[in-house]
Amino acid sequence: MAQVKGKKAGFGAVLWDYLTTVDHKKIAIIYLVAGGFFFALGGIEAMLIRAQLAVPNNDFLSAGLFNEVITMHGTTMIFLAAMPLLFAFMNAVVPLQIGARDVAFPFLNSLGVWLFVFGGIFLNLSWFLGGAPDAGWTSYASLSIASPGHGIDFYAVGLQIAGAGTLISGINFVTTIITMRAPGMTYMRMPLFTWTTLVAAILIVFAFPPLTIGVFLLMFDRMFGSNFFIVEAGGNTIIWEHLFWIFGHPEVYVLILPAFGIFSEIFSTFSRKRLFGYSAMVFATVLIGFFGFMVWAHHMFTVGLGPTANAIFALATMAIAVPTGIKIFNWIATIWGGSIEFTTPMLYALAFIPSFVMGGVTGIMQAAAPADYQYHDSYFIVAHFHYVIVGGVVFALLAGLHFYWPIITGTMLSEKLGKIEMVIFFIGFHCTFLIQHWLGLWGMPRRVFTYLDGQGYNTANMISSIGAALMAIAVIILLINIIKTLVKNEKVGTDPWGDGRTLEWSLPIPTPYYNFANTPLIRGIDALALEKEEGDGTIPAAGPVEAIHMPNNSFIPFMISFGLFVAGFGALYFASGKPWAIDAVANLPEKPWALYVLIAGLAITFISMGVRSWKDDLGYYIPKEELEADLRELEARERGAK
Amino acid sequence: MAEIRYDVPNEQWPVHPEKATLEGRNKFVGFWTFLAGETVLFASLFATYLALKDQVPSQEHLVAADLYHLELAFVMTMFLLTSSLTSVFAVYHMRNNNFGKMQLWLGITVLLGAGFLALEIYEFVEYVKLGHTFRSSAFGSAFYFLIGTHGFHVIVGLIWITLLIIRNANRGLSVYTAAKVNTASLYWHFIDVVWVFIFTIVYLLGVL
Amino acid sequence: MAEQNHEQLTESQLKYLRMERTKEMRIQMISFGLMIFLTFIAFALVALEIDKNFVIPIVIGLAFLQVVLQFYYFMHMKDKGHEFAKLFILVGMYFAIAFVVCFIMIVWIGNPI
Repeated sequence: MAQVKGKKAGFGAVLWDYLTTVDHKKIAIIYLVAGGFFFALGGIEAMLIRAQLAVPNNDFLSAGLFNEVITMHGTTMIFLAAMPLLFAFMNAVVPLQIGARDVAFPFLNSLGVWLFVFGGIFLNLSWFLGGAPDAGWTSYASLSIASPGHGIDFYAVGLQIAGAGTLISGINFVTTIITMRAPGMTYMRMPLFTWTTLVAAILIVFAFPPLTIGVFLLMFDRMFGSNFFIVEAGGNTIIWEHLFWIFGHPEVYVLILPAFGIFSEIFSTFSRKRLFGYSAMVFATVLIGFFGFMVWAHHMFTVGLGPTANAIFALATMAIAVPTGIKIFNWIATIWGGSIEFTTPMLYALAFIPSFVMGGVTGIMQAAAPADYQYHDSYFIVAHFHYVIVGGVVFALLAGLHFYWPIITGTMLSEKLGKIEMVIFFIGFHCTFLIQHWLGLWGMPRRVFTYLDGQGYNTANMISSIGAALMAIAVIILLINIIKTLVKNEKVGTDPWGDGRTLEWSLPIPTPYYNFANTPLIRGIDALALEKEEGDGTIPAAGPVEAIHMPNNSFIPFMISFGLFVAGFGALYFASGKPWAIDAVANLPEKPWALYVLIAGLAITFISMGVRSWKDDLGYYIPKEELEADLRELEARERGAK
Repeated sequence: MAEIRYDVPNEQWPVHPEKATLEGRNKFVGFWTFLAGETVLFASLFATYLALKDQVPSQEHLVAADLYHLELAFVMTMFLLTSSLTSVFAVYHMRNNNFGKMQLWLGITVLLGAGFLALEIYEFVEYVKLGHTFRSSAFGSAFYFLIGTHGFHVIVGLIWITLLIIRNANRGLSVYTAAKVNTASLYWHFIDVVWVFIFTIVYLLGVL
Repeated sequence: MAEQNHEQLTESQLKYLRMERTKEMRIQMISFGLMIFLTFIAFALVALEIDKNFVIPIVIGLAFLQVVLQFYYFMHMKDKGHEFAKLFILVGMYFAIAFVVCFIMIVWIGNPI
């Protein structure tokens, strides 16, 4: 409200507002800031890895520290950077795209973001509390049970907390898209970013519970003396691999599908054309989502599951190439004959097609199970997944940042700096990872902290490290761009790109906290483009202005998350020095307070939940008069602008 | 502040009170989505249990066929199944705008659930006496994790429904409280669904 | 919260609704009876120590049948507006079966397939 009325609020008030907010637009900003911070952290870790590997026999990082850095790089980038940044865009855009006032569960939305923030902090505190996890982001049980100290415990508890937040957000978006669409917004009229968000959210709902169970097994083994992975007691470490990849494979689709969605929006906006083959795109999205669950064992070809199992999973994996191919061709057909505008987001989108296809092709190579025995655990794999994750997801995140920046902040990033950043990032990306395909085929294994001189890896690794530095420079340019833009603070008006096609571009900027004064009426795909072509360029209202029901702000989500954060420390230190503990932590000093911390933390969480359930939280109404006044003010402003 | 109406006359009570508000409809869709996630969660647990069933470090450890008693499992099943029916009664009276009877049947549901829980605790205590514990073997860990997670859900359900009974006692029935009761009842049924698979896969196939 | 249904029901509508609900309740009672019966059969089959290969599929089938009753009648999945619930639970069940089968077949116990 303070923003809309143009009042200046003190720092404390703003902070309290963000801590208690249930507004999806502010939660998007929290996701963006926290995700951006972790992205920078993961990036620094990547730079450390490339600095260590730049020359042979390097001792910049010790072997143990190198393991910690690669583990934290992977974990941070996937769980704390890529996913939250996508959630930032989903929160900022999806409710606006479907014509909703907010998400279905504003309270849970806030709970999701705080769980993620606390989980991320918990995981990263490991650096200061006796060493980070060092068993790789996959944390295979045979390694992670043996890893001494509490590093892996930070991984397990941190992921458990952040994962709970992600699951909650997933349920929230599924419900939002099913129930909160404006009149006329049928499923087959939803913008593609909304569609991909829906499918990704469904994937989250089905993929995160197996991770929760897997991480619980790990937690129980490491912290409470159970025997799931202790082979002497009958345990079986393959269970972890299955559970992890049952989650892990859908997870990459959770990342890439919203990225596809962002690119679909960008392609059609800047080609000034409707997306080619809309229904085929929707169908392909759903199909990719479904197939995503049937292929997890292709990460485990060399485990020895047997030829029949490998063949089934190899076949299913190759099948995914079909819907993905449909998408690629549809994007090309969208650009074809369009009136193309080469903005920064569009450049990223154009660069994405060849980059992602290269990653896809190496994916098909690995899907052939017998050939995979050659690629397994080599730099070829590293090259492959960076081509799909960076060439797909990170390109989409950067493109989306430029594209949706006006909606999030009300200003426009500099296009000049943006294009420089894009070119440097693109060159740096290919420079880093293209050569790694050959490194892998020449026999360099992944996750080694150094290599010998004279193995023929020197030049290639140096090229790769130079590329990484280029990417870092590009990100720094982006940061400068962001800071400059925020300092200048030149506000833009409605539809700043001039070619907005979907509902979110029809809203005034800054968007009022209730989003739509009038519930919009949607008459077709690309609602705004349709009204521009056939109507007067404004979205018709579904009814008269009426009082709007809004949810109350709440501090309870923060408390629930904080409770779990505290409880995490109790669980983490519970096994230290206990006679029944695994060897990794049995000889550490005993922490008698651990149990009490665990109980206290859980008490905070459950009491907060009880309070939430006990109190009636009915929200409040924005009176009709206020809405009408806002509308008049807006009209006056637009007249002034003309 | 928004307000909500209690003691709605029968003629104005909606046909589906739990879905009469947007919040109620959201809750309904969101909770079913959550239950779908829970399905996969319990599937992972069942899968882990089946992979680790009877995996013990040495011959002296007891395995499934030595431990399980069908009589106890049968009685527990009856408790939970009946409590599922009583929560159906509660929802029936909620839809008929009969607050008193709804509270009564919710109370009976809690009592039956507590009976189930008591039997489960008794079962666990007996097993621990026999040396079959969470830490004794991989089989023990998997057994207690699966049954324990279900038991934890029962505890959460009991606390939830008890809280609802108490909080609603001096409020009465409205579309707001109706949505809460309906959600809790769905959760309680789902616990029963999971138990059906537990008694089949763990107990019945365990003693075979 | 504004969307509470303010439609006034007439006396006969109310009566009809009540009758429908009572009818539904009768069906729920029947399905409860069926569930008890199915449970009893399952336990009896196992207690009678009949051939394993015969009992296992039947017992699992009975469990699924009982769960369908629970979902459709107790959790009202048969009613209108449950399309999503059906889709989600069905997909969840499908994944659930896939996971369980994989954990029985390919966790490296015994011979790889």
